Amino acid sequence: MTYYLLRRLNLLIFTLLVLCLASFYLAFLFPGDELTNLSGVRFSTESERLQSFEYYQFDQGAFLQFIRYLELLWQGEWGISFASNEPLLQEISTFLPASIELSAYALILSLLIGIPLGFIAGLNHNKLTDYTIFSVSLLGYSVPVFWLALLFIIVFALQLGWFPISGRLSLLYDIPHQTGFIILDILRSDLADKGEAIKDAMLHMLLPTLSISIVTSTIILRITRRSVIEVMSQEYIKAAYTRGLNHSQVIFRHGIRNAILPIMPQLALQFTTLLTNAMIVETIFSWPGIGNWLIQAIYQGDYPAIRAGMLAVAGLVVIFTVSIDIMHKLIDPKRLNRQRVKI
Amino acid sequence: MPLLDIKNLTLEIETANGWVKALDKINLSMEANEVRALVGESGSGKSLVVKSIVGAINEGWQLTADRMNWRGQDLLGLNQSKRRNVVKDEIAVIFQNPVSSLDPTASLGEQLEETIPDFLIGRGWFWQRRQRRKQLVTRQLQKVGIKNHDLCLKSFPHQIPDDICQKFMIAMALVSEPKLLIADDPTRGMETTTKGQILKLLARLNQTKGLSILFVSHDLLAISSMAQTMTVLYCGQTVEAGRLKKLRKRPLHPYTKALLDSAPSFSKDLLPKSDLSALPGTIPTLQHLPTGCRLGPRCPRAQKECVKIPSMRRIHEHHYSCHFPLHRPIR
Repeated sequence: MTYYLLRRLNLLIFTLLVLCLASFYLAFLFPGDELTNLSGVRFSTESERLQSFEYYQFDQGAFLQFIRYLELLWQGEWGISFASNEPLLQEISTFLPASIELSAYALILSLLIGIPLGFIAGLNHNKLTDYTIFSVSLLGYSVPVFWLALLFIIVFALQLGWFPISGRLSLLYDIPHQTGFIILDILRSDLADKGEAIKDAMLHMLLPTLSISIVTSTIILRITRRSVIEVMSQEYIKAAYTRGLNHSQVIFRHGIRNAILPIMPQLALQFTTLLTNAMIVETIFSWPGIGNWLIQAIYQGDYPAIRAGMLAVAGLVVIFTVSIDIMHKLIDPKRLNRQRVKI
Repeated sequence: MPLLDIKNLTLEIETANGWVKALDKINLSMEANEVRALVGESGSGKSLVVKSIVGAINEGWQLTADRMNWRGQDLLGLNQSKRRNVVKDEIAVIFQNPVSSLDPTASLGEQLEETIPDFLIGRGWFWQRRQRRKQLVTRQLQKVGIKNHDLCLKSFPHQIPDDICQKFMIAMALVSEPKLLIADDPTRGMETTTKGQILKLLARLNQTKGLSILFVSHDLLAISSMAQTMTVLYCGQTVEAGRLKKLRKRPLHPYTKALLDSAPSFSKDLLPKSDLSALPGTIPTLQHLPTGCRLGPRCPRAQKECVKIPSMRRIHEHHYSCHFPLHRPIR
């Protein structure tokens, strides 16, 4: 187990290193001055530039430059944004939680929809229920996210007026920024009517969450269904039946655990798709998240922001994937599986 | 009244080449307190017979029979789940591959405890029932000769050696105190001493508790020490059935003779370094089954008539299906 943990951490560290290298290299690829792209400062005098030149150790070789860059990243000096002249790390820590919040709710919602439906379809394999769920899931799978989000806005926000069109919270509420997670911030604020504020935040959240989670939940449904069908045809399920267990006992004691365990890493992989979709949806709903921020940065040619945003998002995905891997290993009873000699 | 009475059991499996009869008119009957051996080489459908009896066959396979009774009750009209309900506490099965018939994510203790039927635990508060369950489980493991039972109960199936796993399956099958035990190759992969223990345990249960055993194996030596009757299968067809002693002394079907001859421990007058007798060829696959008597292409006594399925003939309790049995000279 220790060996496994070490290997995973090794993978994590090296992937992050490669990401850092890529983001460092981006500063040279983008048009304009490398030093400006790296620091985000537009130099007006030559002495300013020289100061920066030394600060980033540009007088030394490429390897030492990179080491210096890593050092600065570690210290939290990610440079400043062209657009707002704010430190990038601070900007990211304002916008990233909003994206994480949206993705987390969408992931939870997709799991809540996808897994039970997948189980129902898998257990009724080759029956009408299965065919119905599967065909409907194909529909959900093939709908483009941005189109769905626009459709939601047109129908539910504009025509029916049930939900707000865009944003994260009504302008009536002034919530100080603390954690970046809106619900937490509301709860920690000294607002008079917290209930109303939370309700408003939920209403804002619903349409974006729904439009992201429809695609993800159909993917999860398909993965679950396949796994359930496979597990239910296993020898030990039949053996459990012959030992006198009834249908629900077999499913709850042997079916669910065996079906869920192998698909956990696959579900974690869906987080990447989900985050990408979340970025698209953020732009459509003007959700103040990292996706929206990154796209603004691209429009404005804000190179330091693109570099830092890419690093933050990719780092998040890598850390999430590795931690799911480790968690899966921890709860899987087969983890102690050592190869035995077969006679 | 026989305990289990099966007549003309046919199991059809759909393959790429259409429907194939994996089992063709199998006859099998078990009296109370009887130990019957079901023998045949690998691929002769022994395990399929076992699975058909307990209803563990895949969905979509066609199971038909003229008669399939359990203690006088017809099992054929029932669907799989109802059939299992009827037989769940009275028929126990030891499946062929112990590791794959145990849930890999549940501990062995958990799986053994859930097998205990309610009537063995009795009434009481939940902690009393739990204690009783623990006692039963421990006693059961001691019976089959698992010494380190606490460790075994805590382990997962992949953590214990294959022969312990096999013993555990036997313990699991015996825990509900069944009337009929169907043991599909229960001593596979065991060393000789352990095998002896298990066979002794089964024989004792047969004598003291009146347990009937359908012993499926190709280990003729193990079988001959405990079985009274024997059914020989070849390629999904019943070849010969009868008292084991009679069958050994005077087999009527060429296949039975070949099978007995192929076991060196059965022919005591075998000279050192002499050739072992064996039938030419191998058992045909499901896609290439010969018509008529399926032994036909390999049979030393095959004639033109063998392309028709021979009907079951009978001499006293000795059944055989062959056009040219060994006691009749060939024209």
